[in-house]
Amino acid sequence: MLVPTIGIEVHVELKSKAKVYSTAKNEFSYEPNTNVTLIDLGYPGTLPKLNREVVNMALKAALALNCEISKDMHFDRKNYFYPDLPKGYQITQSMTPIGHDGYLEIEVNGKKKQIGIERIHIEEDTCKSIHGETGTLLNFNRAGVPLVEIVSKPVIETPEEAVLYLEKLRETLLYLGISDVKIEEGSMRCDANISLHEENTDTFGTKCEIKNIGSIHNVGVSLHYEENRQREILENGGQILHEETRRFDDKTGKTILMRTKETGNDYRYFPEPDLPMIHLTLEEIENTKKQLPIMPDVLRENYRKLGLNENQIKTIIAARDLCEFYEQERKLCDANVLANYLTGDILSFLNREKININELKMDVKELEEFVNRMAKKEFSSKQGKELLNELLENGGKVEEVIKKLGLAQISDTSVLEEMIIKIVNNHPDSVKDYKEGKDRAIKFLMGQVMKETKGQANPSLAMEILKAELSK
Amino acid sequence: MKKTNYLEKSFKELNELLKNKVITPTDLVEEAFARIEESDLNAFITLDKENALKEAKELENMEVDNVLFGLPIAIKDNITTKDLRTTCASHMLENFMPIYDATAVEKLKAKHMIIIGKTNMDEFAMGSTGETSYFGNILNPWNKKLVPGGSSSGSAASVSARIVTSALGSDTGGSIRQPASFCGIVGLKPTYGRVSRHGLIAFGSSLDQIGPMTKTVEDNAILLNAISGVDENDYTSKDVTDDFTTYLGKDIKDLKIAVPTYFMSEQVNETVREKVLEVIHHLMKQGCVVEEVNIPYLEYAIPLYQIIGLGEASSNLARYDGVKYGYKAPNYDSLEDMYEKTRSAGFGEEVKRRIMIGTFMLSGENANQYYHKALKVREMLTDGFRKTFEKYDLIIGPTNTNVAYPLGQKGDDALKSFYDDILTIPVNMAGLPAMSLPIGFTEEHLPIGLHIIASYFNEGKIYTLASYLEKYLNLSLDPNKKEEETC
Repeated sequence: MLVPTIGIEVHVELKSKAKVYSTAKNEFSYEPNTNVTLIDLGYPGTLPKLNREVVNMALKAALALNCEISKDMHFDRKNYFYPDLPKGYQITQSMTPIGHDGYLEIEVNGKKKQIGIERIHIEEDTCKSIHGETGTLLNFNRAGVPLVEIVSKPVIETPEEAVLYLEKLRETLLYLGISDVKIEEGSMRCDANISLHEENTDTFGTKCEIKNIGSIHNVGVSLHYEENRQREILENGGQILHEETRRFDDKTGKTILMRTKETGNDYRYFPEPDLPMIHLTLEEIENTKKQLPIMPDVLRENYRKLGLNENQIKTIIAARDLCEFYEQERKLCDANVLANYLTGDILSFLNREKININELKMDVKELEEFVNRMAKKEFSSKQGKELLNELLENGGKVEEVIKKLGLAQISDTSVLEEMIIKIVNNHPDSVKDYKEGKDRAIKFLMGQVMKETKGQANPSLAMEILKAELSK
Repeated sequence: MKKTNYLEKSFKELNELLKNKVITPTDLVEEAFARIEESDLNAFITLDKENALKEAKELENMEVDNVLFGLPIAIKDNITTKDLRTTCASHMLENFMPIYDATAVEKLKAKHMIIIGKTNMDEFAMGSTGETSYFGNILNPWNKKLVPGGSSSGSAASVSARIVTSALGSDTGGSIRQPASFCGIVGLKPTYGRVSRHGLIAFGSSLDQIGPMTKTVEDNAILLNAISGVDENDYTSKDVTDDFTTYLGKDIKDLKIAVPTYFMSEQVNETVREKVLEVIHHLMKQGCVVEEVNIPYLEYAIPLYQIIGLGEASSNLARYDGVKYGYKAPNYDSLEDMYEKTRSAGFGEEVKRRIMIGTFMLSGENANQYYHKALKVREMLTDGFRKTFEKYDLIIGPTNTNVAYPLGQKGDDALKSFYDDILTIPVNMAGLPAMSLPIGFTEEHLPIGLHIIASYFNEGKIYTLASYLEKYLNLSLDPNKKEEETC
């Protein structure tokens, strides 16, 4: 049987303040060619600098991907001609990638699997070419933007695994806080290669590479297509003769041949003489390790222990700002009730208003108070919703909003007792049902209490009194 | 105009005259341009007369605050000067106007030195005769039928002819020392990392250094003081400071000096060898220990240079592709065609030959077979120097195997142009500092240079020995006065 082997290459833009080899701002969005220094232009006589923030960010990624670290590393020149390449070479890392031989753990159908990482290295982006009718224009703002390239080992066995790997990788890099990892904006770029070979043999088939796929979902779709295309050729006695570079057309769902690979590009790599050898000390590596944020896998475990359901966990972890917020607040109020509201009413509100959690009008202290009072069941869920909505829309203090909405509670035992005795006496049938063990009865009687008090009875206190009354 | 001869004087002598208001910077600038008009050496590509005179005028009302104040200097044309054309003697950069000053130039301007112009050189510093320049060859002031050496040809010729007080050159395999020896001046290649390379248009990045070219040893030390120091724009520059003038005139009798056997072998011209031996004998008489040593791998200098130096060059010159600055072919059919036509027409033959050699050395399997092996040999060669310097303060020998030779002689042989540098290249490979010091003349009255090499950041020891020899030999090194003397 023919089985696929898949490898994934990802380029990720790092969000350091400055570019990797110059002091220009790392901001692509500015007016074209305004974030540029002489170094980015490859101006004669200039030499690269090295932004240590970039090295540190790449180190974080390498550590989070369980890589071996190249303690003594240098940069290399990758030589080729293209108009978007200002110096005629790219400064990258060929021989001493900052990290190598790591792995990322994914969960395939409930089973854990490690996907090997061959290498992660630092390099610079090129200019952005803008092809127009009168010619091609270059935007140097992108030249020198820091990238890390992360190359998986060819150990991915299905397109689904490829998607899981990329989702996990994206999540990891997002949580490291080193990149926006937005595929649609180009801060994460994926190339996938796939070949088929007979199961239980060692020799790989001839691979095809699909370049620059526009979304993680489409990595799966394009790999499926490519798997089937190659399978059809091979099963009909054909051969894949040359390595090919293909692109994915998301309108037709097909991959299209771009070019056949010649016998390996000759990039004439050699050590970059303008940047001295970098030595990463054990201390630096250990400190960076300590500074790594809590990773999603650990968070997931913690949340399961707290009793959050899988949907809540997924929702919180998918949005890093929400998760950061939750991590901070869950210790200051009831974690379960908070998770409930955060992934429910609050998230809907944020989506509707198109704002993030840190832009809420509601003070966090008030949110904590709200959550804690809901945890004590001081209000019915309907009241809670009303109260929260008001707080989200207009802010203010919980206490004041309660008064404003007339949600003040009746917590006076004597008042409640008098009312409950009357209700019990007026509903002998329900009392009988209760004593015969029908749970529904007590809910009905509570409903009567709420109706009588227009929902303002303290629910837990009322329940206590009702139970006492019924057991008399 | 009354003809003056101030530019024959040393920095300190001129400084006294300026401080005492005997002369003004304008006198010096005017004399420099008068001498240029008289000369036919073709030492300059671009002159900056208007600005130089303007600056000199401005300096007249300022206090003479340092020894370099108001002195005219020339800059090799591969070192960037803001708003002053910098061509690398190439058609490719014929109209290149840099928008920044090299760090070394910035430092000289801070001292109020006055830049007279940009000196002619071998194209992109590739050559040892000055003949590969797009702007025509340069003549040797001692004999105008001979080459001045290269690649810092114009810098050496203009200092030798007393057109300027001093000049900056650059040295990748001997490009300061070889022309200094051919023209009878003092030229120093500093330790790699001593002088910032920011603004030096790269040839072999791991070998290149900017250095001072002067009439005297003292001037050389003063000029090196001015241009050295760590620079945030060059990550390979080192934070080491020194005052080189403090080493001048120090006692030499405790110096231990090594002479590599290879430096004194048959390949060196006999007269040159004899002059070096005379110096050696004299030093021994003065109490110096001078011993012959064997430094392994010295003989691999040329292959190392061709592999590492030209490999780096092939990459450094890739940016001249017609897309950004410099020459662009006027007519082309495609991108590929534009690259081809631009680079075919923009670069001269020697540069193209070297780019091709370098590209070959880095291509595919050759990278392992040549480049990576060369890096290992380079390390072993460096190690040989390191071991020698554990026992000795200095290494000496001839700067070159020969003295200046006739123009056009090397034109046909692509390999011959490298052989001028077989004694100087090892120093660049190891990143060491070295000087060429004039120690005498041949029968044809052509200058001979002594090569003095020190360990890392020990330029001071070079200056100690050089200042001693300069004083002891007391040579007359002004080619303009050659006739008077021989008469």
